[in-house]
Amino acid sequence: MNDRRARLYSGHLFVLILAALWLAFLTTGRAQEQTTRQTADQQTQRLLAARCAVCHSTDLIQQQRLPRDRWEATVKKMVHWGAQLDATEEAMLVAYLATYFHPEAGPVVAPPAAPRSGEEPGAAPNQPGVPARGAALYKHNCLPCHGEAGRGGMGPKLARNPILSQEDRFRATVRQGRGAMPPWGDVLRPQEIVDIRAWLTTIPD
Amino acid sequence: MSQKNDPLISRRSFLARAAGGAAVALTAGPIGLLLGRAESGEPAVPAQDSRIVRVARPYDAETRVHEFLSWLTPNDRFFVRSHFGPPPPDQIDKAAWRLTLSGLVDHPLTLTFDDLSKFEEVSVTSVVQCSGNGRAFHRPQAPGVQWERGAVGNARWTGIRLRDLLRRAGLKPNARHLQLQGADRPVAATVPLFVRSLPIEKALHPDTILAYQMNGAPLPLLHGAPLRLITPGWMADSCVKWLTDLTVQAEEAQGYYMQTAYRYPIRPVRPGEVIAPQDLKPVEAMIVKSLIAQPQQGATLPSGNVMVQGVAWTGEGRIMKVEVSTDEGRTWEPARLVGDDVPYAWRQWQFLWQTRGSGLRTIHCRATDDRGQVQPMTSPWNPGGFLWNGADRVRVRIKEA
Repeated sequence: MNDRRARLYSGHLFVLILAALWLAFLTTGRAQEQTTRQTADQQTQRLLAARCAVCHSTDLIQQQRLPRDRWEATVKKMVHWGAQLDATEEAMLVAYLATYFHPEAGPVVAPPAAPRSGEEPGAAPNQPGVPARGAALYKHNCLPCHGEAGRGGMGPKLARNPILSQEDRFRATVRQGRGAMPPWGDVLRPQEIVDIRAWLTTIPD
Repeated sequence: MSQKNDPLISRRSFLARAAGGAAVALTAGPIGLLLGRAESGEPAVPAQDSRIVRVARPYDAETRVHEFLSWLTPNDRFFVRSHFGPPPPDQIDKAAWRLTLSGLVDHPLTLTFDDLSKFEEVSVTSVVQCSGNGRAFHRPQAPGVQWERGAVGNARWTGIRLRDLLRRAGLKPNARHLQLQGADRPVAATVPLFVRSLPIEKALHPDTILAYQMNGAPLPLLHGAPLRLITPGWMADSCVKWLTDLTVQAEEAQGYYMQTAYRYPIRPVRPGEVIAPQDLKPVEAMIVKSLIAQPQQGATLPSGNVMVQGVAWTGEGRIMKVEVSTDEGRTWEPARLVGDDVPYAWRQWQFLWQTRGSGLRTIHCRATDDRGQVQPMTSPWNPGGFLWNGADRVRVRIKEA
């Protein structure tokens, strides 16, 4: 009788331990999932600022509530029209939009706020600008509007532009945007802005 | 034909009629400021903007519905919609601006802004409404700017008849469509231009005008300065702004904004259904619609007599009746049509509601036009979310007596 009770007891204990282990496993998994999601969200928010907001403010996106297939079609259309997204970025963007802006999302959706880029917005960069880095950054972020070699396009000509001689004003303009230009403070780090300026100053007339 | 029934009257008689009236008063104040800023190259959007901004850039904003207590919608409160935003002011500067008319014509034309004064000046008071006005009410939601009630307005447009220009150039026998393009450009060259076309019958309609004035003031930058098309009775996707190029063609314009966007199914469709291209036709005429301008959504009102007021309009017909329901659409009572019945303009209406009891109430209104079209409670779903004309509704709270 005692033996049987003991066996029963240890059996219960075993089940309990298993359950606790399972729960711990689940919680860790969920926490990991959450971290992954947060990182992906932050990356996608940078994409929204850098690739979508070049042409339109993101309120146009946030007011819509569409199922995944409609978001897929919309993003495809934008890529067809020149939005600079590779296949991975396109998939990330669709996943994000389908998560936060789906038909049942309700009237007010508050995805995590767009992250600042590590450093304080006004913080001075640590080192002088590196033109070689700036060239690559320019090509990826600025060229669609300001043209090949800063010669201008939809946005003003930057080569030999007087703003290049005023580092503070240049950084503030890029960070905060101006007129039709969206703010880049969430996309480019202070050092990167300085690198871009360094490259632009090397362009001859 | 009396002036009252003729939407196109000479400028002189219009000014005589409007002397001391709202249209003249509009040229002063905020509009002057707005124009001043636009011409000096500063942002055209006024610092104090009473509109509801749907998209900050390119700027899209709708009018607050209580503004529609006024028959004419003031220029600085009139809704704004474009795909790319206004062109840089220097590109549409009146000295540099040119309008070309080419294609299937005997004599291609290039006109300066001053050349427009060689044609007879005419005015028309007309509702201009975004095809997507009310898109936010479609279920499931359609992609695009989520306009609610105010992407519409009524203004007096002054300019020249498009027909006079086309006749000066001389149409060739195979002329069927007029392609329209403005000076606005997308950020990226890879985005299709906003190119539209109009069937030649509408282009030759005597009421279709190229407008350079809005409510007696020079056309503001946000509304298409220096020249835009006004197609009375038709949706605003035809009312191309910042016009620079007119091309007479045998076919409809090619490109996204004519062949894909702004199309409506010719038969009822289910969400998600694949629709054959031949089952979609361009959005053209407006359909019967009305709005409640007062009381405002969410207002708390004393019990007793409540004045319900609003506007009603339809495409190329007339408003015959507006009805109001205060019992969720079970019973409807006629509203009183007030003001002038001017073709293409909206009609104002009033309804004296004697409230019973207290608490939350819904006011609905619906209009009927001379073709027997009645506003439904809910409009048919369509992929672009166009032509919403469901009965307007406002929720109010009646206080205890």
